[in-house]
Amino acid sequence: MATATMTFGRIKVARRFGLALRVAVVLALLVLAALPLLLGGDVWAQRISRAAIYAIIGLSINTLTGHAGQISLGHQAFVGIGAFAAAFMASRLGAPLGFGLAAGALAGMATAAIVGMVALRVTGLYLALVTLAFGLTAETTIFNWREFTGGGAGAFAPRPALVSSDHAFALLCLGVLALVLYADWRLVSTKAGRALAAVRNDERIASTLGINVTGYKLAAFSLSGLAAGLAGGLFAHWNQVVQAMDFEFQVALVWVLMTVVGGLRSRLGVILASAFFALLPLTLPNFLAGLPWQPPFLNEAVYHVLPPFIVVVMLLIVLRFFPGGLGQLLRPATRWLTKGGDR
Amino acid sequence: MGAFFALGIFQGAVYGLLAVGIVLVYKAKRVFNFAQGEFGGVAAFAAFYLVVNLGLPYWTGILGGLAAAVAMGLAVERVIVRPLESASRTIMLVALVGVALFTIAIIVLLGQPVPRVMPPLVEGSGVNILGAGILPQQLILLAVLAVLAAAMAWFFKTDLGLAVLASSQDTRAAQVVGISPVAISRLVWGMAALLGGIAGLLYAPVGIFTPGFMTLTMLVPAFAAAVLGGMTSLPGAFVGGIAIGVVQNLGIYLLGQQLKVPGAAELGVFALLMLVLLIRPQGLLGKEA
Repeated sequence: MATATMTFGRIKVARRFGLALRVAVVLALLVLAALPLLLGGDVWAQRISRAAIYAIIGLSINTLTGHAGQISLGHQAFVGIGAFAAAFMASRLGAPLGFGLAAGALAGMATAAIVGMVALRVTGLYLALVTLAFGLTAETTIFNWREFTGGGAGAFAPRPALVSSDHAFALLCLGVLALVLYADWRLVSTKAGRALAAVRNDERIASTLGINVTGYKLAAFSLSGLAAGLAGGLFAHWNQVVQAMDFEFQVALVWVLMTVVGGLRSRLGVILASAFFALLPLTLPNFLAGLPWQPPFLNEAVYHVLPPFIVVVMLLIVLRFFPGGLGQLLRPATRWLTKGGDR
Repeated sequence: MGAFFALGIFQGAVYGLLAVGIVLVYKAKRVFNFAQGEFGGVAAFAAFYLVVNLGLPYWTGILGGLAAAVAMGLAVERVIVRPLESASRTIMLVALVGVALFTIAIIVLLGQPVPRVMPPLVEGSGVNILGAGILPQQLILLAVLAVLAAAMAWFFKTDLGLAVLASSQDTRAAQVVGISPVAISRLVWGMAALLGGIAGLLYAPVGIFTPGFMTLTMLVPAFAAAVLGGMTSLPGAFVGGIAIGVVQNLGIYLLGQQLKVPGAAELGVFALLMLVLLIRPQGLLGKEA
């Protein structure tokens, strides 16, 4: 009896210690992640904003492709619409930032809902093709429509005084990212998430279970478009000017690739991969050019071409060896941190 | 107007040529081959290197280009396609998009992103057709498309072609009667790469070409052409390619020049693609299979 209580007590202590250790590890990681923002100056604040915007886009694609199993190769349409809507609100109507971001989110949502209606009829590989063609059309037609976007010159999106500094803007982006993250978590852990999983696995079986397949598909597109439009709005104010060429279709392809590399349905993986892909083109060329020893056959121009190359190599390695992406590699660590609770 | 019509027919020939390869892979493997354009890109750059940089005769450029394309096709089959055989079609599609971007990145790394001019197969000034100057190269392209589409349609009537179809419909049953899925897979990707290579070699001299020229502007219209033709029909790829080219150029004329709508070519292709998928998903000449 006495030994039993003792063992019990020991386990309890061990558990408490384990919890404390896990909390400490999480806090240490957060501090480590916050270091660039605290010490890196404006340059790193800008980069972190970009990383957060990419992470929101990654989560947006994750909602559509990961949760609902619908592919979109034209996500730049949704992000771009959001960006131009936010810029239009800010520069033409002089609306406050919050209205601009809301307009961007709504514009992204409406556009995605329209594509979602097409996705009710056209599925699988054909949907991939339609979204790709739609993205191209959005890039060349809608984003070059002079009255709305300012044509080739671009639309201006000045930041309001409150977030005019790069640090304040980075905090805004991180705040929005946290909101999107929370929404994603709530989506997955409620009835809607389970319904989406059923739709993803087999639409016919899902409908026999009484799940409104049409409704959930449209909802997934709308939610994804909402997040994408929001990210677009942030992008507009981050860059302070938006042009059609910011939303070329290679960009959309990279977004899909980064989500797959991060691991579909893995929030942490998607965020890490998105941040990595956002920062790589900004940091790698400078880093390599600053090295004391330059490899003989490489030069400045080549360094700027390396990031897309690395992105694709990572994708091919991931698809070939870890289909679950970064999320799969990180699973032991996340499982330990959450004690097998949440995915 | 007539000039745009003529331009559309010859522009459409390139789409048709790419679509023939896309249809071949779809018939045999049920995969959308997003890397089809880059087979042509690799062939064009290899040929440019041999003919312009090394100054070798034109036929070595053609042979070298086609060899490079086929080598790439076989490598893609071995490294990407076969290991992902059991993965979902969507994952396969993302991987093939990755292959296309990878190839473009390699070409840029090796050759810098500068525009190049490839000498044409046959020198000579343009022929006037309906008021449009059509280069001899474009006439050759249209003729080659007709020949290749017919040849591929004939291929699927031969024993080998039937073996490819059998393997596509039931791999296991085909294996039981002695059709190796690996051999079929190699054959199909090799042939698709050859077709892509021919498209690239013939199209590169029509204008200036840059890394990714086959994928960035040609691939979506080519897919639209394949879908319009019915995705499984080789005469459909021919007809669809030309139809897409004509619609695109009439779009440029009517929407772009008359109404000043930006991006009229892309809009035309997208509208036609949507119309086909929503009204007649089996395409013009497609059959259920």
